Amino acid sequence: MQNTLALVVTTPPNSNLTTTAINLVKTAVEKGVAIVGVFFYQDGVLNAAKHLSIPTDEYQTLQHWQQLNREFDVPLYLCVTAAEKRGLTDELGKNENSNIDQAFTVSGLGELVELTCKAERVVQL
Amino acid sequence: MADKTIAIINTQAPFSSADGKEALDAALIFGSYEQATSLFFLADGVFQVIGGQNASAIEIKNYLKTFSALAFYDIDNIYVCQQSLTERDLTANFHIDNVQVLTSEEFSQRLHQHNVIYRF
Repeated sequence: MQNTLALVVTTPPNSNLTTTAINLVKTAVEKGVAIVGVFFYQDGVLNAAKHLSIPTDEYQTLQHWQQLNREFDVPLYLCVTAAEKRGLTDELGKNENSNIDQAFTVSGLGELVELTCKAERVVQL
Repeated sequence: MADKTIAIINTQAPFSSADGKEALDAALIFGSYEQATSLFFLADGVFQVIGGQNASAIEIKNYLKTFSALAFYDIDNIYVCQQSLTERDLTANFHIDNVQVLTSEEFSQRLHQHNVIYRF
């Protein structure tokens, strides 16, 4: 039986815990662990902020999430309630007007329950 | 999909951050999906269960009132760390019923009975 993992990210992009979460997901994927999803909650939703501009010589958190989503099909779920409280909205639609990056799927806490139940292991850093 | 037992640990005081409210929101959702969920209060988190708090004095919505809804979602296991209370000179004056005050050892044992632990 294949190992399955769900990750819950509650820290913002500038937190080192977020970097650790990205490295954990990357290593898990390389080792053949199936990632059932990453759920972004609390300040973790800020990882989906499209217009966040980080100096080019610093760690580009968003690019790493995009890569995980694009190259390894890691689903990235965003708690919409937590996101809206922090200025992110999907009401602008999934186009250039939205301030949520397209790699992220707008979702709710119900998804957290689903992921928690589906995955053999759940990690929150 | 397998049913799991969920432990939610609260470690922050109620009104200095949104952690307490967002932990409660998550707990109620797990409850509404009929997942066995327990609440743990540790360190400054114990302030969340202390009675007689006036949130309106600091312009904050009193989410502590929502704790009374826990019973409707069958969240009956509410554990508070005795040592954390003692360290903060707090007495067992709680704003919700059926709180169980546990020693550190009992607290740890209960925690280990759960499949998944979330910390806020």
